[in-house]
Amino acid sequence: MSSDFHLVAYLTGIVIISLFVNMGVSLYGMFARPSLIKKLIALTILSDTANVFAILVGYRRWPPGSIVKPPVLTELPPTPERVARFVSTAVDPLPQALVLTAIVIGLAVIIFLAVIIMQIYRTYGTTDVRLISKMRGERR
Amino acid sequence: MKYERALIAVAIVVFILVLSYAVTLGAMGSTLPPRDLRLLAKLYLWLAINPWTRNLTVMSPEAVTSIVWDFRGLDTFFETAVLYLAIIGTVAIYRGVYASSKSREVPISEDEVGMSPIAKSVTKITLPIVIAVAVAIALHGHLTPGGGFQGGSTAAVILLLVLVVFSLQYSIRMGITKGSTLALRSAGLLGIAVTSILVLILGLLVGCQSFIFQNQPKAYAPVGVPAFLDGMLVSGTLILFNIFECLAVAAGLTLTFILVLTHEEEIRSVMKGDRHE
Amino acid sequence: MEVLVLTLMAIVALLSTVATYLAITERDLLTAVIYSALQSTAYAIIFYLLMAPDIVLVYIPVAVGLYPAVFIVLIKKSERYEGG
Repeated sequence: MSSDFHLVAYLTGIVIISLFVNMGVSLYGMFARPSLIKKLIALTILSDTANVFAILVGYRRWPPGSIVKPPVLTELPPTPERVARFVSTAVDPLPQALVLTAIVIGLAVIIFLAVIIMQIYRTYGTTDVRLISKMRGERR
Repeated sequence: MKYERALIAVAIVVFILVLSYAVTLGAMGSTLPPRDLRLLAKLYLWLAINPWTRNLTVMSPEAVTSIVWDFRGLDTFFETAVLYLAIIGTVAIYRGVYASSKSREVPISEDEVGMSPIAKSVTKITLPIVIAVAVAIALHGHLTPGGGFQGGSTAAVILLLVLVVFSLQYSIRMGITKGSTLALRSAGLLGIAVTSILVLILGLLVGCQSFIFQNQPKAYAPVGVPAFLDGMLVSGTLILFNIFECLAVAAGLTLTFILVLTHEEEIRSVMKGDRHE
Repeated sequence: MEVLVLTLMAIVALLSTVATYLAITERDLLTAVIYSALQSTAYAIIFYLLMAPDIVLVYIPVAVGLYPAVFIVLIKKSERYEGG
């Protein structure tokens, strides 16, 4: 039981620290890379990582003698025993409901930003922020 | 150096493995997920479908959909507003660009534009299949994993494929235009708005108290949308919300793709016209 | 079983880190988009293993289908290589 506990802690730690590294790498991409398109790709990775963290908050250790289940009651019609078993095995549904809308809104916002970057390219002829910052409004 | 990036990637992986071991030994406290859920999550799971507490339940076995469209329906309503504000922003940037202006006049056949006949045939076969899957995901949103957002984005993928494979001009001739998608999107949003005040109107007609985003009868508001329709579980307003949200998401995303895929020359000519004015 | 699921999740999380690193440091933006799609696939598997089928159903069309499509159109309409 003790070694099992340590193994679970180690594997969960790998997942969490990988996500933190992803967050750091994508923040580096957003701040340090010159291309606006690369910044946008880094932004999608950052928002996805934040969403995975939100889902991870709602995860739980496996209940003894059962597997952990999605928050969907599969046995119909519901009886008190079935609902009680459902509550004792399902993961937290609230983070999933919040992330669900966040992903679709993220898509619409990313498309909006992509359109703005297209417009910047049409106006300045480049997507390199170092070149854009040197220009004073005229075309390249 | 040729393998420099692969070497750094391996170094990052080793770093994560070592740091995780340090964390396991107690360097940063415990990283274990809890054995038990919070009380709020338990209540949501308990009340998702619970015919013995009729005043509080949603009557949907899908806990996520019941949170999205009932427990926290107002949240989702305003998040939908953010989604469509972003789409309206895209439309506003492309004001004055009518993708249909040139292609309306010249009749074009299917073979002249777009990709190869193989790609077109495959798209023709997969289009009805994927649309059927998307509609099924949306319609079963209150029973199985899925719902309006999932179905809408699945339909948007195949509509984007149609726009790319059959070329924009041909799709516009077939009726997938800025105007028609905007109209469908507005119909979906109107449906969501009407569904959100459906029970309120019902309560006003009957003459008892009722709330916005009410689904099942509550303690002091004994009106509601029936959970069972002809023996089938429809979970009241959830199925209506899912249908309208699927329509609005699919049409809204297709609208942005029509604008994004518009030819550069057309946009540049509009921009030049702006400058000379 | 729990250890097996978590082992899979850890492997996929490490894969996503490698894909993220390659996507951020890649000069050719088209290749970067493909690495980003690989990272999205890894995240979709993590969502599935975290028992979130709703999120998987919305994440696969959005992050594996529509994000790369938007980026490829954007790259086609602007420039393909990142300078510097």
